[in-house]
Amino acid sequence: MSVQDPWTVFREMMQSPRSKAGEWKSAVHGRVIGHLLPDVPEEILHASGALPVAVEGAGIHISRAQAHIPGYTCSHAMGALEMGLAGELNVLDGMVIPYVCDTTRNLFHIWDACFPQMQNEFLRLPKRIDHRAARDYLHAEFSRLFQWACSLTGRTPDLAALDASIKLYNQSRSKLREAYNKYHAQSPEWTAERINLLVASAMRAPREEHLKWMEALPWENDGQTAAKETTRVYVRGKVWDPPGILDLMDGFGFIVMSDEIVTGFRGIQVDAAEEGDPLKALVNRHCAMTPYAGYHTDPAEAPKNFVRRVKDSGAQGVIFLNPKFCEAAGFDTPDFQKALTAENMPSLILETSARGVSIDQVRLRLEAFREMLAEDLP
Amino acid sequence: MQPIEALKQLKQINIDYYGGAHAARQNNKFIAYVNAFTPVELLYAMDVIPIYPENHAVIIGARKMSTEVSAAAEGMGYSMDLCSYARCDLGSIKTGLSPTWGLPKPDLLLISNSQCGTLTKWFEVLSRLYDAPMLLIDVPHSGHGEPDPAGERYVRTQLEELILVLEKITGKPLDQNRLKEAIRLSKEASDLWTRVLESGMHRPAPITVFDQFISMAPIVAQRGTQVAVDFYRDLSRELQARVDRGIGACENERFRLFWDNLPIWPELRRLSLFLEERGGSLVTSLYTWAWARLSVGEEDPLTDWTNQYLYLANLHLGKRIDDYLEIAEKYQLDGFLYHSNRSCKFVSQDIPEVRRAITERSGIPGLILEADHNDPRLYTIESLESQIDNFLELLASRR
Ligand code: SF4
Ligand code: SF4
Repeated sequence: MSVQDPWTVFREMMQSPRSKAGEWKSAVHGRVIGHLLPDVPEEILHASGALPVAVEGAGIHISRAQAHIPGYTCSHAMGALEMGLAGELNVLDGMVIPYVCDTTRNLFHIWDACFPQMQNEFLRLPKRIDHRAARDYLHAEFSRLFQWACSLTGRTPDLAALDASIKLYNQSRSKLREAYNKYHAQSPEWTAERINLLVASAMRAPREEHLKWMEALPWENDGQTAAKETTRVYVRGKVWDPPGILDLMDGFGFIVMSDEIVTGFRGIQVDAAEEGDPLKALVNRHCAMTPYAGYHTDPAEAPKNFVRRVKDSGAQGVIFLNPKFCEAAGFDTPDFQKALTAENMPSLILETSARGVSIDQVRLRLEAFREMLAEDLP
Repeated sequence: MQPIEALKQLKQINIDYYGGAHAARQNNKFIAYVNAFTPVELLYAMDVIPIYPENHAVIIGARKMSTEVSAAAEGMGYSMDLCSYARCDLGSIKTGLSPTWGLPKPDLLLISNSQCGTLTKWFEVLSRLYDAPMLLIDVPHSGHGEPDPAGERYVRTQLEELILVLEKITGKPLDQNRLKEAIRLSKEASDLWTRVLESGMHRPAPITVFDQFISMAPIVAQRGTQVAVDFYRDLSRELQARVDRGIGACENERFRLFWDNLPIWPELRRLSLFLEERGGSLVTSLYTWAWARLSVGEEDPLTDWTNQYLYLANLHLGKRIDDYLEIAEKYQLDGFLYHSNRSCKFVSQDIPEVRRAITERSGIPGLILEADHNDPRLYTIESLESQIDNFLELLASRR
């Protein structure tokens, strides 16, 4: 780790997360469990003694995956499969794919057929997250996941270990929220791109070490970066896609006030209770998170709640990062956008992961959106 | 090809069904929009008419109206990558163009996601549009296919809740005798439909999958009624007579084929004639079989529905492959036509793996056709025909 640049360790982590996982694996003789986003409880995998490693497929160049899954699949799923087929995920002993949509449901079976050497598990996330019976189901499902992960690591499921993992992840999230505060305060060096670097690397590194690495960050940098016109936005989507979008947004002076990105603020916003049944605490945390498009909530309330979240964030406008071929986001967006328009809140829909759409097109549209927000139209 | 007489009844059956639905209010009946894996017998027993927006979209597609109405949905912001049934339905609402005089407004939107996740999102849109309540029967997918006792409790709780919701909407308690009667009729229709599908095992097959697709409407929408029973009784009798006399749906049956996935509705007739001319007979399909498995017992229907939604409807790759292999043997198949359906990711994304496994395990070749069930802008029929031609030549060369 460079003394001069405390961000390097995070960058290195993101440059080769799998080889870092491999180093961890040989050092501690542990098991590495991959998980596809969103909402796989990392605490459970951690408490089983495994290293949880997020697998993100967006932005991966596709060449092999098309022989196994059709091209009209979102790049999140296709990219993950591509990485596996290219041998980039050989370090994984197991893989957890959550039930988010038809695509992840199919991907699980395709994955299992393509990678029989891995232990693969399907996490059956209930869709009615505001239903009492869904909580009971999720509790049973988390407990099943714990058993499964422990069978992989050879440990006995231990609730005390889960308590400890919850504490660790809460600490990590709390530190990441502090990082967001620095970013919102526009402290020098704390850009959106760097915050994402912290969150993304946290989902791949041993969390204990990651927490230590974060200590070395320039927390003392107070005050604001050189006065620059800023535009406050709220972002809805799955992941930061296309890769590089946060760099662009930083460059244009966008400040992401809040987001519903599974690897963004949404993922670190809520902690799990540290008392009582730890599985129940994780269920409560899961249900308290901003619902991702793949879940079902009261249809009449969903757009209203969305508008309320946007307004509470203090944003001037909203950016939808809609993954191409994603049915969940595709059906929500028109009504959500309509609800924003009714409240005079401008928005921009960017279809992401569209193979063939260049970052330059994204740049142009972001720039135009910033201009529009700046114009203060009636 | 000698047309099947019983199919002539379908026009009137459809007119009566949609007419009855439009007159629901006057007749003290209610309307629920539903999908395949919902307990329609329960609805019929409570004077709730089940309406399938998917079926509405089928009629739009078959009448070749889909291009115009889906373009309207795209204008509303619904991307061309989304299910074309949903786009047709939403576009039809927007434009008012509909072969069924539109659909009556729903009192309830009832959905089970053991079918697909798309329907949940589509029905959420409809729920907002009509300001109607929505109830999702959330069915956890079966993963490795292992028993899921917690899932059984979860699904059953939601079915119990559905009864309360229906009692509230209709203002009356569930009449167990009426439920039993609807279940009995549903079972009878399912058994008759099974007979229709099994007739395809004969050589030559007396009915092709094209005609099965056309004759599906009553088993989908009206199982639990006498209408469905009467229709399938007539149909299965006629098919039996054809079998007895050795009459095939395809005059010169050379290749016995399986059709995977939904039909390409706008091309149903054209593809049917195209295959017929070449001796290609589509003798069976998993899609039509799905409706033969939806009946429940009178004793404990809630448990039966629960198990059905969790373990039967909830197809996963391994089970699907086993089913196909069994069907291949029973129907003496020569080849598989897999419709890789852009609009229905749910039943299409694993097709490359299905084909690989089937060919490896049975030696039966398959052709993947990239198309769409309702949107003709997403394929070219000439290219599909030429691919089928080449495939039939390959099958002929294997003889
Ligand atoms: S929810 Fe959308 S982006 Fe996520 S895996 Fe499913 S289709 Fe892809
Ligand atoms: S995605 Fe497939 S199953 Fe779902 S509504 Fe569309 S056609 Fe039907």
